[in-house]
Amino acid sequence: MGVEPGRVHFSWISSAESTKFVEVVKQVTEAVRQLGPNENFVKKELKVA
Amino acid sequence: MTCIKIDKQLWAQGLAAAEAQYRLFGPVKQGALYQFDALAAGQTPDLDGPNTRTSARAVVYPQSEVLFEYSLDSRDPEAHVLKETPAPAPRAALAVRPCDAYSFVLVRRNFEAPDVKDVYWLRNYAATVFVGLACDRPCSTCFCTSAGCGPYHEEGLDVLLVDEENHYLAKTITDKGAAFLQTAGWRTPADPEAEARIAQRRSAAEARVVSTVPTDRLAQIPQLELYAANFWQDVAFACINCGTCTYLCPTCWCFDIQDETRGNQGIRLRNWDSCMFPLFTLHGSGHNPRGQKVQRVRQRFMHKLKYYVDKYGDGIQCVGCGRCVQYCPVNIDIRRVCELMNGYGQNAACKVA
Amino acid sequence: MGAYTDKIREIAGRLLKDCQVEMVIGFRKGSMPMMNEPCFVTRADAVDQLVWDGSCGINLANYLTGRTEARIGVVAKGCDSRNIVTHIIENKIKREQLTIIGVPCTGMIDKRRLKNLAPGEVLAVEEDGERVVVRGDGFETVHQRREVLQANCAVCHHRNPVIHDELVGDPVSEQTEVDRYADVRAIEGLSAKEKWDYFEALLAPCLRCYACRNACPLCYCPTCFVDEAMPQWVGKSQNPVDVRTFHFLRAYHCAGRCTDCGSCERACPVGINMRLFTKKLEKDAYEMWGWEAGLSLEQRPPLDTYRPEDPEPFIK
Repeated sequence: MGVEPGRVHFSWISSAESTKFVEVVKQVTEAVRQLGPNENFVKKELKVA
Repeated sequence: MTCIKIDKQLWAQGLAAAEAQYRLFGPVKQGALYQFDALAAGQTPDLDGPNTRTSARAVVYPQSEVLFEYSLDSRDPEAHVLKETPAPAPRAALAVRPCDAYSFVLVRRNFEAPDVKDVYWLRNYAATVFVGLACDRPCSTCFCTSAGCGPYHEEGLDVLLVDEENHYLAKTITDKGAAFLQTAGWRTPADPEAEARIAQRRSAAEARVVSTVPTDRLAQIPQLELYAANFWQDVAFACINCGTCTYLCPTCWCFDIQDETRGNQGIRLRNWDSCMFPLFTLHGSGHNPRGQKVQRVRQRFMHKLKYYVDKYGDGIQCVGCGRCVQYCPVNIDIRRVCELMNGYGQNAACKVA
Repeated sequence: MGAYTDKIREIAGRLLKDCQVEMVIGFRKGSMPMMNEPCFVTRADAVDQLVWDGSCGINLANYLTGRTEARIGVVAKGCDSRNIVTHIIENKIKREQLTIIGVPCTGMIDKRRLKNLAPGEVLAVEEDGERVVVRGDGFETVHQRREVLQANCAVCHHRNPVIHDELVGDPVSEQTEVDRYADVRAIEGLSAKEKWDYFEALLAPCLRCYACRNACPLCYCPTCFVDEAMPQWVGKSQNPVDVRTFHFLRAYHCAGRCTDCGSCERACPVGINMRLFTKKLEKDAYEMWGWEAGLSLEQRPPLDTYRPEDPEPFIK
């Protein structure tokens, strides 16, 4: 629908997998940072039509 | 009242001149649709299509309109000051159908009541000059002639254009209209027979309106009798309660007020609303006086064909443009409902007699 | 199709006369060409208003939601019957309440397309087997029926009712050779930016009249998320972000439930093909779980069941 594939991530992380959690957070942050700020679904300004 | 002849070769040129002083609106083809919309710079309206899908209503009364802006930032010296949006610049609605133009006459009664004036509607209305285009090809669903107007109706217009092959005849109806023609640089007087020809074409066009609705008994049937009439369940069954009829209707005027904020900045908006939507009448308490579909359908027809008739004593709140008839997804036809309402009790009365 | 009309009247008359049903929901002839009006009949002597032709595109399952009558007769073409099944498994109506009058369907006529093809206002449309005759002021054109079908009907795989108590005619052959998802694949091939722009243009004329939502049998939430006021999830203006939010969320609510009946597109007053959204999800449900909505009363939909073999390559 026009949202870049790298912006949405899914992961199974058990509450015991703290290392994996840290890893995934780092990866996600890096991936999303590379895409830049999300411009879609954001009202850039208050306006109508 | 004067008649000006506008050579079609001078049409675009005149509009370009008018553009310097007026924001132009008119019918334009967007995809497969004819819409009534703002024209881009240098764009001429498309006059060959049928009546536009959406009416000219939005020129004066946009679907979403900003009423004022505000700031919630306490460091801002103007925090909490409601700043009105600037007044609209002069605008011209080009090639409005006479039925659509007449709708503003009906709607004005609501927005300019003796005790309450709607400044937003009125200032847009005052800023607009209505340049009508007489309608020579009414649709099978048009019933304007039984709704108080007609294909050459002038009420609500400032200028009436009549298409005569190579030129338009522009009948000046108001000073506002004359000023617009002046600005566009159209000054050639029409021949002396022009008005007679317009009258002739008017009768011919009126004769082409084949659809009629009876409205003669609406005023005399008591409100509560119509309200309690036995046909509402049948009329309302198919209705899906969408807003097609009310949003395409040139005479529907209901709205909803909303605030939208982003950070500390906010705007107050007025959006069209629809009596078809349950939310329209939902009370803060959770109670909804029109919680059922049949109540909402009845409201729409009662308002247009009975309450309005009783309140203003000048006909129905409908101009017979036929949009709701054509685009209702489930074929609820106001002509049929009007007939049911107008004829209500008649058969019973006959039996008694 | 005239034979269908006679048979529908005969069945409806019999059901009403024998008190097997309290009402029959069907279509009556509309006041405009290519427009029939959903209606209900409660008396055997009134069944003559029922009709059937290629303009019965509104999905009648939409008129069953939450009905309390003990016995209801309902006319159903293939897609309607699939939505009735969906209604039953979602507890919107009980199977015991229904007498389903099945109509083997050869597709509905695309009213918008015929109007656009006509050189003037369409005043009458007549169906004669494979021929569709369109008449207007000073013109008459003839089309092949299969060329003027609604887009969803042209690629329909389930023309015969999947569930019925009566059948108004012999089953019709199913279209097995059609490519159902060509349009969806074309959009899937676009980049994220191109998709965004494509949908921006697609939704530009939207009036937010909600005809698509309200014509949809799946959209029966007591309060739709766009109508919620406390909290308010989405703005009410014509801001394109709000318009898009409405369309996308509505489509997601139909995931694994949509039968591509085409009611939404048919109902739209400004001709938006919002089926492109629901169809993508329908395609996903088919490809990921082999699921087509509304085919079985026994099977639970994929989105309310877990199976160990459910695809999950998106989870890392």
